[in-house]
Amino acid sequence: MERDSANEALAQPDALADLRLLHLADSALPIGALAHSFGLESLTSCELLTTRDLPDFLQTYLEEAGTMDAVFCREAFRLPAAAASDNDFAARWLALNIQSSARKPARESRAGSASLGANFLRVVLGLAEVPLAREALNASRRSASLVHYSTAFGLAGNLLGFAEERVALVYLHQSVANLVSSCQRLLPLGQSDAARILWNLKPAILAAANRSAVTALQDASCFMPLLDWGAMEHPALSTRLFIS
Amino acid sequence: MASVAQNAREVSPELCQPRRLQASLLLDFARDEIAGCTVLAASRQEPPLKVVRAFNVQDGAALAHLHNVSGGLLGGDQLALKVNVGARAGVQLTTTGATRIYRPRHEAPPATQSNEFTLYEDALLEYVPDAIIPYGGARFSQTTTIYLAQDAGIFWWEILAPGREAGGESFAYDSVEMKTDVVALGRPIASERVRLEPHRQSTQSFGRLGPYRTWATFCIARVGPSAAEWLALEYELREQAMPLTKHGETLWAVSALPAHGVMVRCVAVHGRHVLPGLQNLWQTAKQRLYGRDAVPPRKVN
Repeated sequence: MERDSANEALAQPDALADLRLLHLADSALPIGALAHSFGLESLTSCELLTTRDLPDFLQTYLEEAGTMDAVFCREAFRLPAAAASDNDFAARWLALNIQSSARKPARESRAGSASLGANFLRVVLGLAEVPLAREALNASRRSASLVHYSTAFGLAGNLLGFAEERVALVYLHQSVANLVSSCQRLLPLGQSDAARILWNLKPAILAAANRSAVTALQDASCFMPLLDWGAMEHPALSTRLFIS
Repeated sequence: MASVAQNAREVSPELCQPRRLQASLLLDFARDEIAGCTVLAASRQEPPLKVVRAFNVQDGAALAHLHNVSGGLLGGDQLALKVNVGARAGVQLTTTGATRIYRPRHEAPPATQSNEFTLYEDALLEYVPDAIIPYGGARFSQTTTIYLAQDAGIFWWEILAPGREAGGESFAYDSVEMKTDVVALGRPIASERVRLEPHRQSTQSFGRLGPYRTWATFCIARVGPSAAEWLALEYELREQAMPLTKHGETLWAVSALPAHGVMVRCVAVHGRHVLPGLQNLWQTAKQRLYGRDAVPPRKVN
């Protein structure tokens, strides 16, 4: 299969970059996103989350966990420019992902994010020639560290020549779209209602992306105790549709 | 006739400015190998922070009560607590009561508390304070960093109350920020960044607390046990927490950290359900990790 080089990607017009970014954010990208509910399955199974609560829940998700992950996404996007050398890049990359792990108290959700992150980088490496992404994946593998989805998305977004703002927006959009998709399998939520919920969340996605642009990594907060509960207790579910 | 306050303002406006208090409490605990127990080897205390003395606990640890003689944190207070726990020493720290965050003057900056705990090889810290109660209008920012050396361990919890509920005050505070980092052998294993501004973002939103009002976080960590051992402890504590969970009243959850520990989370409608559950899980985890009982701190007798 022929693959683009990163330089070629950098030279593409905006329209082509947008198409490629849409492609990478599509739920059909084979990274396993449909297998994770990140705690929603526990919340719905004990009726703590209902269809009626969903818009409020997703709004809060964007204000809290979504914004925090978008901050990590942006930090990864900025890594290549911040690193003084290849070794420095690898060290910063590992440290960023370790920090992201430490922010995720729920074991299954942490592993889920890591599964998606590593799969995402592998898919990107199959589509384009991006040596630094390969170096990031190898560095993580060598040190047995996790690659989180937010950081993988941010790093790849930079290396493929996308604009940071677009990357953060699209990352947030696909994150919340995946949650809505999970809820369609967990709740009595029809396609039209799901589409409407996601449509109505666009301003919240924009707000989260804007907030993430001005939030330092050390200050990025997340307070979602009920989602934490759902994610931490997911291993205790006797029947499960999702891995997390 | 002018009041005393009016006269004071005319004489010296500076006198009427709210006083910014900066104070620190430094505690050095060390293992006395001859006596076979932990002692408070050194301390530096600045009011209002105070430790009167350290008591021996039956497992050889030292118990110290953290006093704030002003009764709580006032707007603009900047308090710092630094605790070193020497190699093989065991320390239990608690508060004499709830940490009250008072309503500040309008122009006062947030009250801040910074906590730094450094644990050397095979040291153990049990940090088991009462709840933090932010009063109406309170602004509070806390940072906590815990450093763990090889074989060092912690049982560390925080309980955040919604306010003075008995007085009908619930989520009436302006802001509460809590930043916590647990670092094992130089690597962060748990980082929490909590920021609550009830007037701006509803705490009752479903994704946050929903119908629950009190939040607790309990970090159990020790550098040494394998990932499989932590997973086993996660399952054991989850089994124990299940009967404590009553939907609509209290939820408990347990999960293994990336390394060296597990995290327990609780949300409760009533704060009174939190402490017994924490003590219950503390007991089990301490038996599993240290082969001895958790001893709840003596406070009034």
